Amino acid sequence: MSGKRSRSHKAQKVLERMAQKLNRQMVGSLVACVHCGMCTDSCHYVLANPGDPTYAPAYKADKIRKLFKRHFDWTGRVFPWWVKAGSVFTDEELEELKDTVFGKCTNCRRCSLNCPMGVDLATLNRMARGLLVSVGVMPEGVAVVSKDQWEIGNQMGVLKEDYLETLEWMAEELQEELDDPEVSIPIDKNDCEVVYSINPREVKYDPRSISDAAKIFHFAGESWTMPSECWDMTNFGLFSGDDDLGGSVARRLYEKVSELRGRKLVISECGHGYRSTRCEGPNWARLDVPFEMESSVITMLRYIREGRIRVDKTRNTDSVTFHDSCNNARSCGLFEEPRELLSLVVTDFREMHPNRAENYCCTGGGGAMSMSEYTPRRLKSAKIKADQLKATGAKVVVTSCHNCVDGLTDLIRHYKLDMEVTQLVNLVANALVVPKKAPVPAEVPVKVPVGVPAEVPVAVAAEEALPLTGRTIVVADDEPDQVTLLATILEDNGATVFTASNGDEALDLVHRHRPDLLTLDLAMPGRSPGEVFELIRRNTDLEHLKICVITGRPELRKVIYDRSVAPPEGYLDKPVSEEKLLRNVRKVLELAHEDG
Amino acid sequence: MSEFLHFSEHRLQEFALVLMALVYTVRILWLLSYKAGGERQAPTGPGATTPAKGVLYSWANIAMPWGMESTRRRPLLYAQFVIFHLGVTAAIALSFLIPYGSGERPGLPGGDAVVWLFQGLIGAALVVGIIRLVRRVGSPYMRAISSPDDYFSLVLLTVWFFFAVLAAPNQYAGGEWHLLGFFILTAFFLVYVPFSKISHYLYYPFTRYYLGKSMGYRGVYPPRRG
Repeated sequence: MSGKRSRSHKAQKVLERMAQKLNRQMVGSLVACVHCGMCTDSCHYVLANPGDPTYAPAYKADKIRKLFKRHFDWTGRVFPWWVKAGSVFTDEELEELKDTVFGKCTNCRRCSLNCPMGVDLATLNRMARGLLVSVGVMPEGVAVVSKDQWEIGNQMGVLKEDYLETLEWMAEELQEELDDPEVSIPIDKNDCEVVYSINPREVKYDPRSISDAAKIFHFAGESWTMPSECWDMTNFGLFSGDDDLGGSVARRLYEKVSELRGRKLVISECGHGYRSTRCEGPNWARLDVPFEMESSVITMLRYIREGRIRVDKTRNTDSVTFHDSCNNARSCGLFEEPRELLSLVVTDFREMHPNRAENYCCTGGGGAMSMSEYTPRRLKSAKIKADQLKATGAKVVVTSCHNCVDGLTDLIRHYKLDMEVTQLVNLVANALVVPKKAPVPAEVPVKVPVGVPAEVPVAVAAEEALPLTGRTIVVADDEPDQVTLLATILEDNGATVFTASNGDEALDLVHRHRPDLLTLDLAMPGRSPGEVFELIRRNTDLEHLKICVITGRPELRKVIYDRSVAPPEGYLDKPVSEEKLLRNVRKVLELAHEDG
Repeated sequence: MSEFLHFSEHRLQEFALVLMALVYTVRILWLLSYKAGGERQAPTGPGATTPAKGVLYSWANIAMPWGMESTRRRPLLYAQFVIFHLGVTAAIALSFLIPYGSGERPGLPGGDAVVWLFQGLIGAALVVGIIRLVRRVGSPYMRAISSPDDYFSLVLLTVWFFFAVLAAPNQYAGGEWHLLGFFILTAFFLVYVPFSKISHYLYYPFTRYYLGKSMGYRGVYPPRRG
């Protein structure tokens, strides 16, 4: 009998903890499946892997269900073979389960909404993930991100000083853009109407979204602030199935908002962040949250409806389509407000099909972007989404989720679609009708100095037009077009640029020219870029050198971030726009903070 | 009729029904012994959606083939589902009508029209049962997710439909084997069901209730499509 077979410690713990995780909804989902197969075609993994039944939702669910049947259900206990009940005994079997629950499902919940019986596979899958995580069986990326969120307080290990510097930098950029020194990003201000929380991805890779939001809050005349700590509204507990992590992370943010006495927590555009913070967090933390919470999408829409900001949709004329994030749409019902907002800020909106709660997953959800070992599988399953996007004919896909931004960017690149990804905050900020008082003070200095000032504005303009004058930059990339693009942009902005097409050349150039910045591609022939990176970091003569990784293969980030040296100062995903490149180079070189 | 047939139509059925009811009661109490998860947060989604609407929508889901992509895209499968379950309902009704509605005389109340109605419904379900067996055996996806219970339950019901079609006229002058087969299978079915996947109809109200309640609370049900 199987009961006499010895079981590993981890396997034993998984079974014991399963009993503690089961609730009525889960048990219902575990017993109610009739194996009708109606869920099969709803899964993007199935559609992209025809003929492979191991991706079928019911098949994946049965990997979990068999444990329940064997240990908790009567027929499964007495006649396990009759109902395909089974147990787990070895760590190898746990690894197989890991491959299914982490590598073959993004918890998008599409199958749950297509099941005639109402079986919620995503909830079962999350439970299984949590059981495996509790015994240390999980993809490495999950372990790393969870650790960062536990120990540093956010998913991407952004240090407090980096976060605050980024906010300060964005505030300064905004002041410059609007020529208004009153514009600010208030930090830790008490008794505000809004406490704004963000995704750490915005700090690391997309700080423009922070300044866009700040601009909107400013012109809406909002009383708002951002916390200096506990500011991360994302929650890896949703992906890892770890309710303790989920509750702890959510509680930190709630307590910070309460400490600041904020009336409302506004959550920036992030699917899993919105779901975790707005819906699941109070349940994980067993806490009744005393303030309101809303998505920034709803906030922006309200501002427009109330006339607090005015927008001009003719500023966004590209054809756009909207991707519904799974967590926003299928778990929080947030799909009409983004569309209403889009109708106000763009001129050419094209619906994709299916949409709303029936939309397909971007394939980057469920923590998939952090699990590089499943990237080929993920990108293959993304064919379904790619076909959906292509069918719209749109040039831009808008989404209210940072995970989706990454997932969509990846699949757009992989399937060579001629599209960009953006978020609603960017479109609203771009469409914003700025009140007229700002331009008036700029005219006064021109009129008053009649003779001499004819020279001064030219000199000032020359300096402002060449922000990288005096800087030396090495661009390392094996793609000639990419090298030309980056070098041209940087040279046009005043930098002295040297180019390298492989790791050895890059090393030679940095030793010879002692540049201020190295832009480093992660996929080059010859010496591994990871090795190049580490050699530079360990060379005390090059300690002044800043490094910005620019790569089209985010799954290679491991070669850099896994090293026991300081991480790069900047990171950019290809394709890189001129604006994004300059913004990040300026940030990395800390040009916004220089006194002279 | 023979004493054995009388026993099969009455005592055996009654015993099996009581046993099934007892087991089902234990099963429901077991399910309810697990704590239900709750929602502490404020509701999300448009104001028109509520948990109650979500529950009603979810329960009615099975009667709205346009409601789910899976049933919208596969109308034939949905039609099979309807026919199969109408056949089950008819066969169960027959197992009560014959012993308690015919006054222990041959035939059914309502005469031939009623017999044809039952035979039509159950006969169609029999055909669907065979189609489903072919699908379950022939499709690699279905094979991958099927257990012995899945195959046996389908075979059991299909064979039961066969006997039900023959038993519907309730004529035993030329032999009782078809009626005996029907009632013995019915009794076996009643005892087997709580331990097999056929008991899914017991869980349906619960699973759809909780899914609907949550989806209604979160503004997902009733769904909107563009």
